[in-house]
Amino acid sequence: MIAVRRPRTLAGWINATFRHWSLLPAVILFAALTAYPAVDLARMSVSTITWQGAQDFWTFTPRRNFEALMSDPSLSAAVVNTLVFVAAAVVVEMVLGLALALLVGRMVRGKGAMRTIMIVPILVPAVAIGSMFKLMYNYDFGLFNQALAVVGLGPVSWLGSPSLALWSVVIVDIWHWTPFVFLIMFAAVEGLPQDVIEAGHVDGASPWQLLRYVTLPLLMPALTVAFLFRSILAFKAFDEVYLLTGGGPGTSSELLSLHLYRVFFEQNQLGYGALLSVLTMVAILTALALGRRVARKVRR
Amino acid sequence: MSRITTFVAAFALCAAAHAATPFVDVGKQEPITILTPSTPWLPAFTKIVETYEEQTGNKVKLDVNPFGAVLEKARNDLRGSGGAYDAVLLDTQWTIEMYEGGFLSPFADIDSAFTPPKELLTYDDSGYWNEQKRWRTSKGGKLMAFTVLGNVPVWYYRTDVLKDAGVAPPKTIPEVLASCAKLNKPPSTYGAVLRGERGNPIRYEWQQWMLSRGATVVRDAENGDFTVTINSPQSKAALDDYIEVAKKCGPPNPGAVGQGDVIQLLSTGKAVQGQLVLAAWANFQDPKKSAVVGKIAVVPLPRAADGKTAAVIGNWNYAIPKGISPAKKKSALAFAKWLMSYDAQYAFAKAGGIPNRTDVLASDLTKDPNFSWMPAYLETLKTARQELGYAEGAQVEQALGLRLNQALIGEMSSGKALNQAAQDIKDIFEKNKRKTGLGPPLPE
Repeated sequence: MIAVRRPRTLAGWINATFRHWSLLPAVILFAALTAYPAVDLARMSVSTITWQGAQDFWTFTPRRNFEALMSDPSLSAAVVNTLVFVAAAVVVEMVLGLALALLVGRMVRGKGAMRTIMIVPILVPAVAIGSMFKLMYNYDFGLFNQALAVVGLGPVSWLGSPSLALWSVVIVDIWHWTPFVFLIMFAAVEGLPQDVIEAGHVDGASPWQLLRYVTLPLLMPALTVAFLFRSILAFKAFDEVYLLTGGGPGTSSELLSLHLYRVFFEQNQLGYGALLSVLTMVAILTALALGRRVARKVRR
Repeated sequence: MSRITTFVAAFALCAAAHAATPFVDVGKQEPITILTPSTPWLPAFTKIVETYEEQTGNKVKLDVNPFGAVLEKARNDLRGSGGAYDAVLLDTQWTIEMYEGGFLSPFADIDSAFTPPKELLTYDDSGYWNEQKRWRTSKGGKLMAFTVLGNVPVWYYRTDVLKDAGVAPPKTIPEVLASCAKLNKPPSTYGAVLRGERGNPIRYEWQQWMLSRGATVVRDAENGDFTVTINSPQSKAALDDYIEVAKKCGPPNPGAVGQGDVIQLLSTGKAVQGQLVLAAWANFQDPKKSAVVGKIAVVPLPRAADGKTAAVIGNWNYAIPKGISPAKKKSALAFAKWLMSYDAQYAFAKAGGIPNRTDVLASDLTKDPNFSWMPAYLETLKTARQELGYAEGAQVEQALGLRLNQALIGEMSSGKALNQAAQDIKDIFEKNKRKTGLGPPLPE
């Protein structure tokens, strides 16, 4: 049994309660910067906002916004594309990031240099990446098609073909974000307990058995973190698809975040845009919770 | 000797005095900040602003932003407490939202004596707003803005290539197709390129073809009849024409061709014809950017075989926010008055801009090869008009731009795409309680 000692003096009381009250500024800041906008967004999601005489008028119209959701011609394509994008990009990034981390982890020299080189894609602004790949994907002048021409293959419409456009964006995302997974996994690989791995060697485990039964379970916490981070970020991917394809051709590369941008900013449908934002947040939080549960089960 | 010196000094003094004389005397004004888009004509606008500052001593700060960010910044400033901008340059498509929201000052409210020069082009009354009618019209409307740059699409072509092939610049769509049959040699040369990207690009470019056939999006928006007519046989014929030219004459990825691609293909000499806004003209005159300097000319857009010449205006309007101080409003209007003057527009044209005055467009500049576009521009303006001039314009553009693109890439037939677009557009109007309906569907 633990005995709790209560403060008997004023100084003691101040000491005991100060740590709680000292959090107040942070709580107020959080409420002002996060909670209030979130509540406002929720309020907006069930409203229609119009402007007259430089004044805004809010009317409570939840049904109207849900009807807009149901009749939105591009929404289903955006949802499906986003799921495909997240699944494809994150899986490949995880596999490549882990493989690179294990390879670099075995290097005797040049680990620092490799880490520095690998960081470069993350440091490049997304706008620059979009512009760079747009040029490389260019049908007539792009590097990829010029390279294909050298080996006698015909030009490919990387961004103009409905069946290829989304995958072209996935490739860019993989290039951009694999280093992020690598960095997390590399730190974890460097921190692996060598005695456990050596014990595996001594017990005669094959390299595959070592990876499957020793290394991967030990890396699972880092893998979970990398997976969750990347999934959330991939759900929100915007810059690359905006710059490369604009969601087209047709709706072949329309992603949720881009669709949200269109609804909010291009079509100026604030209420429906807010509803989409709220639903996207709920979807991400649900996926996050599910992911954590699955990860916990796998660890057990 | 002393006489010569005196003469030279007097001449220099006169020249200096002339240089210092403002085109229009606007007096000492408060400094202003203008929300400005980063566009191909920005260098010309920047130069003319510098001239204003030099002549008047008044200060003008340009807050330059990418296309989409201009709208966001304008919304944030005008809907909020305001004051960040004393004037805003708005794409004509966005002005409806600002007019209807009551965010802008009518020019007459700032200076009741103000009237724009009669030579100033109104670009289908894009700067006027009739509050009762909810329509851009000078009839009963107030002047809320004026056009700083009036853009229209024109037909660019390579003078040397067409001449060598014995092909005249096309006046009709069949002539475009006939010229393509001679000139199209993909992948080294494309006969003609059109924008096909989803959304604004294809919507804007195709609507010229639609108007040429006499088709409309809605029956009579000006008088409140929003019955959707986009799925008419005329629209379908226009869309079929557009798809045929884009596929037969252009690159094999027509659904992904944007404005940058059209400029790139024309300036590298890979495309020999193309439909493009006039504001892109300067791109082909700069030897650092263009391999076809002096080899490009423009004519009004080709029309349908049995149609008329048509064009949709895409202009940038200068407007003054409502929420700023009277002194700032006066200063913003002073700059506008100066910019509307003949001399300022002449200088703007010389700097690479498109002037907005008929007298400058008919001036001695037309004899200069650098301004050989002027006759085509004036000719195009005769029939050019505004489109989607209602509050739902942006939504209609998205709906239409998606379906047109889907038809272009073969995801659906032209008939199905237009039927679908018509239904989408009708839904938009219905939600806003407009008087709307739907014409008979096209065969799919």
